[in-house]
Amino acid sequence: MNSEKVPRWPNGARAVVTVTIHVDGPAVEVGRNLTPLGINSRGRYAIRRGVYRYLDMLERHGIPATFFCCGYDAEHWPGIVKDIWTAGHEVAAHGYQHEGFDLGAREPELLEKTHRILANLTGEEPVGWCSPSGRKSELTLPTLRRLGYRYDTSEKDEDLPYLLDDRFAILPNNTVSLDDFPLYLTGHALPSEAGDNFIEEFDSIVDGDGYVHFIVHPKGAGGSGSPARAAQVDRFLAHAKRTPGVAFMTCRDLADYCLAHPATWLNPRSSTGEQP
Amino acid sequence: MSGTLLVTVNVHGIGPEAASTPEAQLFGRDAHGRYTYRIGLARLLDYMEQIGIKATFFWPAVEAQRMPALLERCLKTGHEVASHGNAFEDHMTLSEAHEAELIERAHELLTRMCGSAPVGFRAPTGTLSFASIPILHRLGYLYDSSFLDDDAPNLLSEDGGPGMVELPFSEGLVDATHFRRRVTQDRAEAHLAQELDGLLGYSGYACLSIHPRADLGLARSSRLKILDRLVTRARDLGAEPTLGRDAAFACRPILKPTRLGVRQTATDFQ
Repeated sequence: MNSEKVPRWPNGARAVVTVTIHVDGPAVEVGRNLTPLGINSRGRYAIRRGVYRYLDMLERHGIPATFFCCGYDAEHWPGIVKDIWTAGHEVAAHGYQHEGFDLGAREPELLEKTHRILANLTGEEPVGWCSPSGRKSELTLPTLRRLGYRYDTSEKDEDLPYLLDDRFAILPNNTVSLDDFPLYLTGHALPSEAGDNFIEEFDSIVDGDGYVHFIVHPKGAGGSGSPARAAQVDRFLAHAKRTPGVAFMTCRDLADYCLAHPATWLNPRSSTGEQP
Repeated sequence: MSGTLLVTVNVHGIGPEAASTPEAQLFGRDAHGRYTYRIGLARLLDYMEQIGIKATFFWPAVEAQRMPALLERCLKTGHEVASHGNAFEDHMTLSEAHEAELIERAHELLTRMCGSAPVGFRAPTGTLSFASIPILHRLGYLYDSSFLDDDAPNLLSEDGGPGMVELPFSEGLVDATHFRRRVTQDRAEAHLAQELDGLLGYSGYACLSIHPRADLGLARSSRLKILDRLVTRARDLGAEPTLGRDAAFACRPILKPTRLGVRQTATDFQ
């Protein structure tokens, strides 16, 4: 295995950044049988403040992003999804009520339900999915493929995108160090420390494999919704923007780029390395 | 409206633990809450008097009955007494009738003990039901302070409380959020300070929530100084400590109705 090998990014870019926003509105609390009020209004923060705060920030930086939306949130607050779509961002699927994907036979039904809700709102079928819990079952990928999905961002086994075959891409998501949620919830990082961590990761990746998969939650607590935490995401995006040779892409555009070059991306380290 | 810092105190003794275990069975590590009765709350009141700040104290009925002299002192020194429910019930799981009975019981007790009715409410364990706000509205409450879904006050019209104001709090501005994880006090203060700066810079409103306990709260003598430093920090950013009822009363006429899930801006509040 040759970890030095760096594949070719679109237009000769040195690195690609996918900014992903996990909307996680009241769907999360409702899915856990919580009344989404009072202390369980973290998701309400996302749809009241957080999503718009990030739409404004992304517009200011001129960065296209992928918003992973739960079907329940889209059903109840369709204006949010329409505003995301109208701003030119990608709308992708993130479960109906942020399920843990231990749903048994109900799973295909819920994947289809969310798929239909998002497609009806934007007029375009979503092609990407991220597992809300990071889990999948043996039913997940077959169902997603049947519905026409082209990528999944739930794996953590690579730093580079790779293809399962010439019709389906895996864009691994870095929940270890480029995801706000565990840093704050488990790591109890200060906002400024989380910002430093994002930038250290970015600098190292840009000098190496070159794929930066960044995850933000616009919710109140636990995510980067609050002004102090959003300011750190802002600082990170500004840092990424002023780094020469960095391209910002939606997950869909990156997946389609990889799918168009299967020889490179079926196993991006294959020319010198082991098969996984 | 100029900047507003709400200093709020959740008056928690051993009530949270006693809600699920008979108090006679709570000892040692399960009985941190008794610190509030022996020294915590009195020390906090002394300190607030010393540094000259007035706060909103959310009193559960069960703690008011336990510490009537400190409740009276709270009132006499000019703090606001607001309702924090009955005895740490989980409002999300109550029937509407039972919930109404508990909120009314606490309301009547505080009214009797204070000589006037409380106008503010904070959910005792944080949770609310869809009936909570309508019940509070029927009882004449001016504001609730249980949500953490916004950076600034908003109106509760959409949630069944026409004319009622929500004074949201922030999880990052709750002492217990940080001390529960046993971080050092310097680190807890850094968390509180960064969130405070962010909120005041954005909306000019911040709600600091503290507890008179030693484990989860600011009542240890060395931690109390954090309160003074945070208030000074807020003042430097143009925000004065304000009581909940004064903040709610001042902003109610200038708040515009908002709809959840529809774009709004900070200037809706400012």
